[in-house]
Amino acid sequence: MLKFIAKRIGTMLVAMFMIILLTFTLMHAIPGGPFTNPKGMSEEVLAAMEAKYGLDQPMPVQFVNYLGNLLHGDLGPSYKYTGKTVNDFIATGAPVSAKLGLVTLIFVLLTSIPMGILAALKNNRWQDMLLMAVATIGVTIPSFVIASVLIYAFAFKLNVLPTFGLDSWKSYILPVVAMGGYSVSYLARLMRSSLLEVMGQDYIRTARAKGLTEFAVVTKHALRNAMIPVITVLGPTVAGLLTGSFVIEKIFAIPGIGYYFVNSVTQRDYTTIMGVTVFFAAFLMAMVLLVDVFYCLIDPRIQFDA
Amino acid sequence: MKKKAFSAVLAGAMAVSLLSACGGNSQPQNIADVSSAASEPASTVTSAEPAAQEMTFVLNNIPDGLDPTVTNNSFAQYVILNCFEGLVTYDSTGAVVAGCAETWDISDDGLTYTFHLRDGLKWSDGTDLTAEDFVYSIQHVLTPATGAQYVSMVTDYIKGAQEFYDGTGTAEDLGVKAIDAKTLEITLKQPTSYFIDVLSMWVYDPIQKATVEANGDAWSTKAETYVGNGPFKVTGMSMNENVILEKNENYWNADSVTLDKLTFRYVLDQATALTAYESGEVDGVISIPSSDYARLKADKAGVQTSPSYGTVYYNINCSVAPFDDPLVRKALCLAIDRQSIIDNVVQVDAQPAYSFLAPGYIVDGKDITEGRSDYGLSATADVEAAQAALAEAGYPNGEGFPTLHLSYYDNDTVKKVVEAMAEMFKNNLNINVEVSSADWGIFYDSVVKGDYEVCAMGWSADYVNPMSFLPLFKTGDSTNNAFYSNADYDALVEQVMTESDPAKAAELTMQADAIASEDYACLPLYYKSNSYLMHDNISGYFMNASGGLFFKDVKVS
Repeated sequence: MLKFIAKRIGTMLVAMFMIILLTFTLMHAIPGGPFTNPKGMSEEVLAAMEAKYGLDQPMPVQFVNYLGNLLHGDLGPSYKYTGKTVNDFIATGAPVSAKLGLVTLIFVLLTSIPMGILAALKNNRWQDMLLMAVATIGVTIPSFVIASVLIYAFAFKLNVLPTFGLDSWKSYILPVVAMGGYSVSYLARLMRSSLLEVMGQDYIRTARAKGLTEFAVVTKHALRNAMIPVITVLGPTVAGLLTGSFVIEKIFAIPGIGYYFVNSVTQRDYTTIMGVTVFFAAFLMAMVLLVDVFYCLIDPRIQFDA
Repeated sequence: MKKKAFSAVLAGAMAVSLLSACGGNSQPQNIADVSSAASEPASTVTSAEPAAQEMTFVLNNIPDGLDPTVTNNSFAQYVILNCFEGLVTYDSTGAVVAGCAETWDISDDGLTYTFHLRDGLKWSDGTDLTAEDFVYSIQHVLTPATGAQYVSMVTDYIKGAQEFYDGTGTAEDLGVKAIDAKTLEITLKQPTSYFIDVLSMWVYDPIQKATVEANGDAWSTKAETYVGNGPFKVTGMSMNENVILEKNENYWNADSVTLDKLTFRYVLDQATALTAYESGEVDGVISIPSSDYARLKADKAGVQTSPSYGTVYYNINCSVAPFDDPLVRKALCLAIDRQSIIDNVVQVDAQPAYSFLAPGYIVDGKDITEGRSDYGLSATADVEAAQAALAEAGYPNGEGFPTLHLSYYDNDTVKKVVEAMAEMFKNNLNINVEVSSADWGIFYDSVVKGDYEVCAMGWSADYVNPMSFLPLFKTGDSTNNAFYSNADYDALVEQVMTESDPAKAAELTMQADAIASEDYACLPLYYKSNSYLMHDNISGYFMNASGGLFFKDVKVS
């Protein structure tokens, strides 16, 4: 298993290098730069700014310098926000996004899996119909629409929940529901179909024939196998939730990391684009690896082909 | 409980202000109504305890930094203007008045300004602020490693500044000297009638040497090291969340500051900000979604409009055919229904513009643009005249006119305006129009390179003087993206720059304005105004023509 993990980390490093190289090349290929300014900065001010941040050097030199700094964990200064480093952005933004993401994840897990199981067990009965109708709505309506409707209803009309921020437990409710809505619906549907499929298999009939209670059949035998597709999806879902959502963070004015991910691109803040991309990529890869390790813990039939 | 009390106070305040609003609008009020309304329970709440002098104001954009010597970003001005004060500042009428300098003398040749600082000036950390601090700050701006974006606002005017910046001159040769702790002398390159206006810009604010040297660029990113000298000091700062200001006891005029705490909260989504405002969670918002403007105005929901020294216009590339022909540009200018764009598309309180130069600069009590020509333009489209101009240029009824490319940057409001304009060009001139958009960086890159035909633009002046507009059409200026070139215009602008008599400068300015406008150097749309929201229980705030909002006289009731 250690050998497998080591090999996977090796591949991940290669993939990471490719991501860095591609992002770096693409980013510099877009017209405009971090100092494109409507007030028409003069040539000499532009030159002074570029010299300050080493942007006057040839591209390959900049790339090697970047890699060198990255190995030391230094993501560089922001070109756009005077005095700030990309490490600052991640250090202040990521925990906020992660906190909201974690609460959302718990909400997603606690609602979607029971919803899916209930729907599967009550297959084609009214409970199933109702839950799946809700889930279909949740999958199809974008989060920003859900967010706007929630704000209108609970913050504006009823005035019982705050409109923005994360200042009290109450302020978590709207963003968590808006952000988790899609995942809840998607996972509930997946859980339902996966469990239905497993419940039709021979070994379940055998378990029932042995005289096990329905509860034991579902929890001990069916769920374990039915969870595999859910766990596959859970990896990227966890990464997605914990790294925050630009849309949700913007609507609810949550000072997370999503802002930097989108704005750094429009502002051509090169180091921030790179830093946030590297951070996201590393996080996503780690989650996928974690999922692979989980597979074998849940299903011994899955082997590591190291 | 706390929240309940707050909303009760708010309700009370709103009821009171509603009454005063009614009184103002229709004088003969039913006395009985007023007294019964006033004896509602709300009045007992307001009289029970004075309102806490604290407020939250929403900003919709995160500035690129808060170092006054570095940034030229207008989103930074709310914090900077309330935490720093330069030699001069603004009063509630928008006029430039004495700030840190109590008085100043100007030499007869108009070159030497001697500033006499106030007694007992202090930094927010309690240490003394002297003339040396101003010298240091200006030198800091002129140090290339600072990356000062407004450096030209210093190098263009002060003697020896350009040389200092280039590394060819020394501090000795720089025209900024501390005569003693309370006297600062600034020597200019050439007489400049509007230097005091330029001096009101925050690039001339003092910053504290010890703090900057100890913390480098990062000094302006943390509350603990953000030392200023204005009415407020920063006590909390969180990159994309908020900046918390509290009254600065060391401000020279601290006795007149009532507000104890002012929280600037960044809420990037305008709709969220508006909801928070309407549900009473925040006291004011810096911008208003255009789709809600009319409703909020009708509801008397606290819409504030303040004139801005800026113009929304469209650049016409004067260097490419057929737009190098003033007649073609004239036809484009005439084909636009400005009033319809203002009322139906942008939905703001704004005046249609017939020149790039906005009104708002006053000399001898009179706006210098008063009574100027409309250059043949009007609030609505003049289709006949537009067609005639196009025919005179050789394209009768639009025949043979190449497809016009109209480009803009990604922005919802601009998109709507561009679509409306494209329709007007098509219908009124009978020409083909192709519209394209890109994000700001790509868009601006192509504008600077002259790779466009007609594009969205606009200008907000940094200081209230026509000189902040005139370089826009001066040959070779870095802001002249219209590539308009006229030797007479250039010569007039040169004269305005060195003219020390404001009245004479104003006259020359209007001559220059007439030249560019009669050539239709650009397509003016409307003069900007700034609109923001503020609940009625807040009073005493004021906005200058650059959109800077001042809180030093604010009271919460």
